[in-house]
Amino acid sequence: MDFRWQVVWNALPQMVDGAQLTAQITLLGIGGGLVIGTLCGLITAFRVPVLHWLVFAYVSVVRGTPIVVQAMFIYFALPMALDIALSGFVAASLCLAMNAGAYITEIVRGAVQSIDKGLTDAGLALGMSYPQVLASVVGPLAFRRTIPPLGNQFIISLKDSALFLVIGVAELAQRGEQLTAQTGRALEIWTAVAVFYLIMTFSLAMVMRLIERRMRIL
Amino acid sequence: MSLIECRNLSKHFGDTRVLSDIELDVETGEVVVIVGPSGSGKSTLLRCLNALEPLSGGTLTVGGKQLGARGTSKRELRQETGMVFQQFNLFPHMTARENVMLGPRKVRRQSRRAAGELADRLMERVGLADRSHHYPSELSGGQQQRVAIARALAVNPRVMLFDEPTSALDPELRGEVLQVMKSLAAEGMTMLIVTHEMRFAADVASRLIFMDEGRILHDGDPRTLFEQPPSERFQDFLRHVQS
Repeated sequence: MDFRWQVVWNALPQMVDGAQLTAQITLLGIGGGLVIGTLCGLITAFRVPVLHWLVFAYVSVVRGTPIVVQAMFIYFALPMALDIALSGFVAASLCLAMNAGAYITEIVRGAVQSIDKGLTDAGLALGMSYPQVLASVVGPLAFRRTIPPLGNQFIISLKDSALFLVIGVAELAQRGEQLTAQTGRALEIWTAVAVFYLIMTFSLAMVMRLIERRMRIL
Repeated sequence: MSLIECRNLSKHFGDTRVLSDIELDVETGEVVVIVGPSGSGKSTLLRCLNALEPLSGGTLTVGGKQLGARGTSKRELRQETGMVFQQFNLFPHMTARENVMLGPRKVRRQSRRAAGELADRLMERVGLADRSHHYPSELSGGQQQRVAIARALAVNPRVMLFDEPTSALDPELRGEVLQVMKSLAAEGMTMLIVTHEMRFAADVASRLIFMDEGRILHDGDPRTLFEQPPSERFQDFLRHVQS
């Protein structure tokens, strides 16, 4: 087998560009997903009238369709329906945020509902208001429980961003495809792309592990 | 006016009647032990007294504050009562001391320092001054329940409610919790205690209530009731718990 290091070397600047774009889309995606997911998760956990049905519909649609279809819909179909134009970057970030948001909704709901009702009773019995119990007891405990599944979701989102090559966003996977076409060296290019993804997901996993360790999960 | 007044209090979950026509007055300083077979409504009664369960009917007044009356919130009523749970329910992310401090800080709006000093006094009182900085998971069941008692006392309630405080404990850990409760009773604290500890009831109770099927069947002096059980039901019950 003949592995040409020179190919990897020459492709490196473009791959770094691609990796940067992947990182940006992922950060926007999980950032937006956290905001959406926290909000929607609390709405379902406390069964806010009417709104929790809307959240249920949102989660069902996102979980029930492939992310490729969602990306296609946001990039090609939505602009047609609303008469707007979205750049690939915006469409990709939006799509990832919507997607992650649905899964994070379930993570947050699960964490809040897993907190023993007896602790809420104990807080209320002290004479605390319900919002005080949420802020001092349920919230901090639920937050801790979201950390491990959130780490999982962040890694999934990072890898899902590779799908945006279908809408022509020049992220890492799309660069891989381009570079393979230019050089004809699939072996070197896709090995390098895989290593790039591995470095990014591993770093993310380490960060989450660090947060987990600094906070006792109860 | 009595410290606690229940008038025609009832509670049902769907079609299941859990409490029917409860008439109960508790005076300051009384130590009332409530016994009865499981499912007789003892725990539900305590939870109603603390407004953790909404009433289905009747009225409840604690310390002159009537539940549901204009201007009285559940919260105000709860501040008059302290509750100790079967499963302790300590906040696992806080040390023992922080557990005790939370009520004074959030409910009584005390400064961190004042709440800390109060917590230290109460931890001393339940004999756990040296365990203040331990997390609940680092304490034995008996120690956790003593912290829970200190936490309930910290908001300075006028009556303490104990819901089977020793039922989740190994027999050898029950004594230390009962000891703390005894000393509270001796200090004149008004207490309502749901328990299966008949010896404790005979020792400490100033009044015994026997509940069955959601009603108060007997209510009177513990010694008299134990020595001359007035009904078949109560005799049966005593036979079962003593064997």
